[in-house]
Amino acid sequence: MRPTPAWLAAVETLLNRGIHASGQASEFARRLDATALRIDIEGLISIRASVYGTRLALIAAEPSGNPAGPEPDAIISGPPLALLRLAGIGAAARHHAPAARTTVRGDAEIANRYRELFAAARPDLEEELSHGVGDLAARRLSLLTKHTVAWVRKMRRTAGENIAEYLQEESRDLVNRTELEEFLTRVDTARETADRIGARLAHLEQRLKGST
Amino acid sequence: MSDSERTDFGFERVAWAEKAKRVGSVFTSVAGKYDVMNDLMSFGVHRLWKHFTLSLTGLKLGQRALDVAGGTGDLALGLLRQVGPQGRVILSDINPSMLALGRDRLLDSGFVGNAACLVADAERLPFDDNSFDCLTIGFGLRNVTDKVAALHSMYRVLKPGGQLLVLEFSTPVAPGLKSLYDAYSFHVLPALGRFIAQDSASYRYLAESIRTHPNQETLLDMIRVAGFGETRYHNLSGGIVAVHRGYKI
Repeated sequence: MRPTPAWLAAVETLLNRGIHASGQASEFARRLDATALRIDIEGLISIRASVYGTRLALIAAEPSGNPAGPEPDAIISGPPLALLRLAGIGAAARHHAPAARTTVRGDAEIANRYRELFAAARPDLEEELSHGVGDLAARRLSLLTKHTVAWVRKMRRTAGENIAEYLQEESRDLVNRTELEEFLTRVDTARETADRIGARLAHLEQRLKGST
Repeated sequence: MSDSERTDFGFERVAWAEKAKRVGSVFTSVAGKYDVMNDLMSFGVHRLWKHFTLSLTGLKLGQRALDVAGGTGDLALGLLRQVGPQGRVILSDINPSMLALGRDRLLDSGFVGNAACLVADAERLPFDDNSFDCLTIGFGLRNVTDKVAALHSMYRVLKPGGQLLVLEFSTPVAPGLKSLYDAYSFHVLPALGRFIAQDSASYRYLAESIRTHPNQETLLDMIRVAGFGETRYHNLSGGIVAVHRGYKI
């Protein structure tokens, strides 16, 4: 059995704290008592998540299964971003993640309940920070982080718009959306006209064959 | 005497009954300098290992915890902070000299009423079945003569759903670390023991006992066989130390 990384233990501790702090998450955990889910994060790690009572355990597992433990009730596998999106966590959930493949095997209902549990037990970062640096500093750090994230998002969007505008309007390397739609409409019209002419010619051929 | 009637004391093979006496004399000898030596030998990193172990307990206010072979009480102090005044923590050790230091430390830290100290053998813990929500043993299992009996005893006193945490030296897994670690253990540690604690033999025993202690996988199997479920381990500092965990399910 492979060792469970220390970071996974930290995630487990945070999620358990979230479960105990939230009535809804505790209820979700109770409904999952004595069940297990294996999460295969492609290229990274396989994790076996199980619940006993209201306590969640995260254990590194072999991708082929953990022979020492019972078989999981469900298995979810996929690339990291797709799994985050599935769990409704972070930027991957807010924006369109790259087209990705996640597969669910076994009891899909159990897998969905685990998804609900992870979402409900998501740690409050400001609260966690406050344990280490105090309430005031945690609040300031949290606000700073939020403003920084918002600024980066706005900067990324603005930069994207500016580059697009330059390529479309000034360098003319790309067409803008209106021109593209107009072009596509003309292509459609040309195709329809060609189809009509083809049909007309076929009709004339039929008539010629009929007269001879 | 057949080999089955003998056990490891460092690299020596001694009778089962003799190991407890010899381990006892080692710890009686080093008790006074134990904490200073821990800081020197690990460059203070043992505090991080213990902090990590404490972060895994999942204890809540009002719960009960037992620190087996707790010695000078590093883990017990952390457990007391987690369970609060309504909870209860018992610090146990087979060695009265170490336990006396632990008791003084708990009292000096202001823990009275919800802390108790007890001379107890880890192989035969003198508690009712299903008594504790969490049980820790930090750098102690290595010195226990019958580790299987100790694990069974710990399983018995844990409540269903309770967690066992074993913090112990283990086998380095990081590439290139083993030779460096061996050189440090067999040359620097005894020298440090000679200069600081005036006892190089005890620190040679420390290095030897680490080598004869079961590696990560073997200890994990032993914990499983004792009845624990959802077992796993975390390597710390490249496997020099590992934390093994298991629940009474």
